[in-house]
Amino acid sequence: MLVGCAAGKVATGTLQFYANGEDFVREGFVSKDGWSINFDHVYISLADVTAYQTDPPYDPHSGADVKGKVKVSLPRTYTVDLAEGDADAAPILVGEVKNAAAGHYNAISWKMVKVSSGPANGYSLVIAGTAEKAGQSVDFDLKVDTEYGYSCGEFVGDQRKGILREGSTADVEMTFHFDHIFGDADTPMDDELNLGAVGFGPFAGIAEGGKLDVHMAGLQAKLPAGDYQALVDMLPTLGHVGEGHCHCH
Amino acid sequence: MNMKWISIAFLFSILFILGLPVEAYAHGARIEYKIDMSIEIVATYDNGDPMAGAQVVVYAPDDPSTPWLTGVCDDEGRFTFVPDPSKPGIWDVQVRQAGHGDMVHIPIGEDTVATTGAGGYTVLQIVLMAACVIWGFVGTGFYFSRRRA
Repeated sequence: MLVGCAAGKVATGTLQFYANGEDFVREGFVSKDGWSINFDHVYISLADVTAYQTDPPYDPHSGADVKGKVKVSLPRTYTVDLAEGDADAAPILVGEVKNAAAGHYNAISWKMVKVSSGPANGYSLVIAGTAEKAGQSVDFDLKVDTEYGYSCGEFVGDQRKGILREGSTADVEMTFHFDHIFGDADTPMDDELNLGAVGFGPFAGIAEGGKLDVHMAGLQAKLPAGDYQALVDMLPTLGHVGEGHCHCH
Repeated sequence: MNMKWISIAFLFSILFILGLPVEAYAHGARIEYKIDMSIEIVATYDNGDPMAGAQVVVYAPDDPSTPWLTGVCDDEGRFTFVPDPSKPGIWDVQVRQAGHGDMVHIPIGEDTVATTGAGGYTVLQIVLMAACVIWGFVGTGFYFSRRRA
């Protein structure tokens, strides 16, 4: 869906929207407390996915809603599996809009919503996989039903994104940083990332028979209060644009 | 962000323009000047720690896809560059390190001499400041050239 206005013929191209769990999800990683985590599925449900041409460029630090002179939206709610494919898999194509107005899409917003069908039925985020440490193994299935909205500026990464020229294809990306929940053994322990992350140990501590299948209410009941609060604090920080932070509301 | 819009060379050039006396130019010295409008960024993490050694990429307004300049922040998270004044518009500066990054958008207009994140100097302000500097040198010249009683 293209929303915008201009006099006369508008130069257009195809704008693609990707979701990316990064190598952390595709390849697995070691949590801050030494658990080797591999993901079978990371289902995330996305709605109201919209890219904007903003001038002046949107600043997520402002906390304001994004307002663009041109905006392009995906028409429905999408549930994607960020762990789909092998370790070398590309980010997940969520959808695309043909005949999008050419220009620089330098902001994006989306909602992470609870869905009522599909593999993540009843949840906005489902994180499933296996964690191993020192001979212990935990099959986990963490189910989040909280909904979040993200407003982000321009993608920050190796290549600039969102610059759509007439007759060509460009892309924008919704990036999700799962090391914010589990921490990262490759990052200094005194880094803010690891200081704020839950790690995996608290989840392993409430597993039974090597299995943990739990939703947020169960986590609130079973996790130590501090660990549950850390999880609640970290979930809104999942959404990024590459390495650029977003405003969560 | 901070702008350095004036230099020692610029101050010397004011004296040259005014034709002020005399000794400094008596041996045919030639002073040329160039006004550089440099932009200094300071990149820090949310906790205030500098992004020392962070990668910096600068994009000019006329080609937002291709880096115009790359570099790294110093130990204090500072990086300075001089934009091409023939390319007015939004200059974008991206800073990244260890999975963290941000981008700042700096407007450089034909009539923009200097700006900061908190607002900039207008042309009128620059003229007034330059006039003050000139008057300071004139006054200093009169002081040292006065006849002793």
